[in-house]
Order: sequence, then structure tokens, then C-alpha cells
Amino acid sequence: MNANLAQFGRVFWSSAVIAKKALFSWLSPSLWLMQMFTMSLFQIAMFWYIAQYVNPARSLDYVIVGNAMQSIAYVAVFAVTNVTGEEKESGTLPAVLVTPANRFAMFVGKAMFQVVNSMATVAVAFFYAIVVFGLDFSNVNLLTLAVVITVTCFATVGFGLMLSSMGFYLRTTMVLANIFLFMGLLFCGVNFPVSDLPEFLQPISYAIPMTYGTDAARLAVEGASLADPAIIGLLSSELLVAVVAILIGYAMMLTFERLARGKGTLDMF
Amino acid sequence: MPRLRALVGSFRQQAFHFLSAPSWLIPNIIAPFVITMVVLLMYQEVTGSVILYAVLGGGMMGMWGNTLYASGYSIQSERWWGTIEAVLVVPSSLIWIIAGRTIWNALIGVVNGLLVLVISVVAFGVPMDIADPLMFMASFLLTMFSLATLGLLFSSAFVLTRQAGVLTNGLEFPIYVASGCLFPIALLPAWAFPFSLSLAPSWGIDAIREAAGFAPESSVWVTVLGSAPQASFILPDLAMVVLLSMVYLALAIVLFRVVERQARLTGELGRV
Repeated sequence: MNANLAQFGRVFWSSAVIAKKALFSWLSPSLWLMQMFTMSLFQIAMFWYIAQYVNPARSLDYVIVGNAMQSIAYVAVFAVTNVTGEEKESGTLPAVLVTPANRFAMFVGKAMFQVVNSMATVAVAFFYAIVVFGLDFSNVNLLTLAVVITVTCFATVGFGLMLSSMGFYLRTTMVLANIFLFMGLLFCGVNFPVSDLPEFLQPISYAIPMTYGTDAARLAVEGASLADPAIIGLLSSELLVAVVAILIGYAMMLTFERLARGKGTLDMF
Repeated sequence: MPRLRALVGSFRQQAFHFLSAPSWLIPNIIAPFVITMVVLLMYQEVTGSVILYAVLGGGMMGMWGNTLYASGYSIQSERWWGTIEAVLVVPSSLIWIIAGRTIWNALIGVVNGLLVLVISVVAFGVPMDIADPLMFMASFLLTMFSLATLGLLFSSAFVLTRQAGVLTNGLEFPIYVASGCLFPIALLPAWAFPFSLSLAPSWGIDAIREAAGFAPESSVWVTVLGSAPQASFILPDLAMVVLLSMVYLALAIVLFRVVERQARLTGELGRV
């Protein structure tokens, strides 16, 4: 039991370290920083201006916080969904799968660096939200906001891993990553409340962890504490959805791996 | 003639690539389409022509999304496949090969833009009352031409970097913001006007909107003249689109020469 746990930990940690090394051997740190410092700025700016144009009288804080939180998706959804696709395109997926290493530890480990990356991205986004877009931060409960961001980063990475599992079977994960990167803007209450969506679409919103995280972040900015029942409810729901997504993702990973092995399409892209 | 053959050949090759995996249209169209849907939902309390304003902007975004991704990945894909050196070693200049691909991508861009418009009209029941259909189509096609030349210009820079994909993702939102496709650029800070006005799509979407019957209060010309223009501004808009497109094209020709030489000197062209 202990040996298994130790091996799980070793695979998890080495996968996380390799993922970080692989990212920076491909992407120069300056470009990584440029991406981090520009993506959220322009996304918030876009919807900030649209909201001003549509209804100048309304508070813009709703849109600012929503888009700052949504910046997590660039890393936690887009990058994590492409984990399997990138192995496939590099021609390393069969080599990785032929090892006896625990699949779950390996792929969760690969995604872990993106948790740190997404936390940094959302911190930059909130910096812009306050300094450039004038978000009212006077009542914020920093501890609650920090916990909300941490939970949302983990939960969204878990959701990204579920999507990534389809990479074993699909020719490319890039299409899927793009779809879910932008779907968050529509479904997660980023620019308007989920209740504004047609009723038949609302269940989709509640199946995505980001929806809960976005609402919880707004409450934290308004000053809600961690003991606030609304915060507890939102974070519990977010974690529950994330755990379900990871479990479904793991089951899908095993199924798609078997199917791809059977059809000989594992490295087809 | 050999240049024309290279152009036609690369156009055909790009068409075959697209037809072999048409699902690649999804990444190009998904951002503009979703953003248009989001904006339509944000506009729920607003009625009338403002909704058409958003839909036309969404169409423009659809065209830009396609051009940007296609220009970024037309070089990057060659790197991944290990064929970029073979493409550069042929007697035809790289610009003719990229131009052939760009023309195909421009055609798909028009389809992309129209698709965003049609889906918005069908799904959201947006009334598509176009005041001047002929000028509308002319503005639409000229805007696409300007986007294609802008894409060609960016392609030249993408030859030098192995991180074209990252740059492609990073350039999507800045152009959406700067061109004012979903809000008047008069809302931007004054220091951003020169950048916005140097983008042909800013003038293109202005012409499209006037052809659709929009009043000049939200025109690009407000930022130039300080007030709404009194006369029709559609022809000056189109003149700016053509002028800027020519500038992009001239810059692209020069840059491709420089970049081709640089790539041969550094020997890092095929580095993925």
C-alpha cells in the first residue's frame, strides 16, 4: 500500500516537473509572460467597452470580475485539454502509455503546473481589474478571494483533464480546447447572470465549475467571508462538480485508450 | 507565369488541406460566434438597430479569426510536418506560396463571417434590414481583402518564430478591441486612435455599418473630425480600406524578402 502510494507520488511529481520543463523548452519565458500580461487585459477591455456602450449607467464590476476569473480558462481549460493532444502530435503518446506508470498520477501531475500558472494569470487579471478598469476593491475579503481563486483553479484544471481524456480518441484536442475556452464566456455567468440564458441551457452552466467560482469571486469582492453560507455553498458545489468531472474524465480516459488501442488510432492526428 | 502557377498550386493545396479536416473551421469561428452570442445576450435590454450593430461586428470578427489562425498556422503546420525547408527551397518566392493560401483562407473567411451573420439572424431573429445591399456586399468583400493583406503581413513575422500559435492566440482580442467591431472606437482612449485608424478593418466595419443603414454618430470619422460627418462616409471608408490594404501588401512584400533571407542565415527555420 505504502509502496503504491510512494510510486503514485513519484509519478505525479516527475510528471509535474517534466510538464514545466517541456513548456519552457518550447515557449520562451518572455512570450509566456507576454501572454499572461496581455490576454486578460484585452479580454476585460473588450467586454468593459461593450458593457459601457450597451448600458453606460450600469455598474461595470460584474463584467470586470467575471472576465478576470474567466482568464483562468486560457490556462486551465485550453492548456490542460491539449495535454494528450500534444503528446500525440509529438509522437510520444504510445511511449508514455507503454510504461507501467499510473495513468491518473501521470496526467494529473502533467496538469498541476497549470494550476500555478492559472493562479498567476488570474492575479494579473485582478491587478488590471483594479488599476486599469477601476474595480471597486474597497470591501474585498482577500482571504475569501484567495480561497475562491485557488479552488476554482484546481476545479477548472480538473474539468480540463476530463476534456483532455478525449484526446486519446480524437485526432486533435485543439478543436475541443477552443470550443470550451470560449463556451465559458457564454455559460459561466461571466458577462450576464446564468438566469439570462434560455432555461434549457442553464443545466450546462451548472455542470461547469467556473460558474460557481465566478459567482463566489463576486461575493468575495463585495466582502463575503469564508463562513458566509453562500460562499460555502458555491465552493462545495464547485468542488463536487470538479471531483465528478475528474472521475468521469478518468473513466473516459481508460475507455478511449482501450478503443484507440483496439482501432490502432492512438497516434493518429 | 511561374509565380502564378505557385500561387494557384498553393491555393489548391490549402483547399485540399481544409477539405481533409474541415473541423479546423471550428477554432476559427468559435470565438467570434460565442462572443456575438454573449453580446446579443448582453444587449437583451436594448432593442432595435444596436443588435444588428453587434451582429455585423460578429461577422467581421469571424473573418478576422479565420484570417489570423490561417496565417499563423500555415507556417507553423509546415514546421510540424517537417516540410518548411522544402517549401522555402523552391524557386518561387515564399510570398506567392503564402498568398495562394491566404486567398483560400479569405474565401473561407467570407463564409465564416456570413455564417456568424446567418446563425445570429436565424437563432436570435435579428432583423437583417440592409439599406444598400450592393455597397454592403462591396464593403464586406473589400474588408475581407484588407484582412487577407493584414494576415499576409503577420505571416511574414510568423516565419521567423516557432511560436506563431501563441502569437496568433494573443492577437485575436487586441484587434477585436482596436477595430471597434462591437463598440464605437470613440470609446477608446485618445492615444489608441492612431492604432485603431491604422487598421483597415476599423474602416471596413464602418463602411459595412453605413451600408446597413447606421447613423454616423458611432462612425470612425467621429474620432478624426471631432463630430459626426454630415455627408455619406462610405466611399471615404472604402478608400481607406484600399489604401491601407496596399500599404500592408507593400510591407508584406518587403518583409517576406527580409525574413526569407534571415531564415536561411540562422538555419533555424525548421525548429519546432
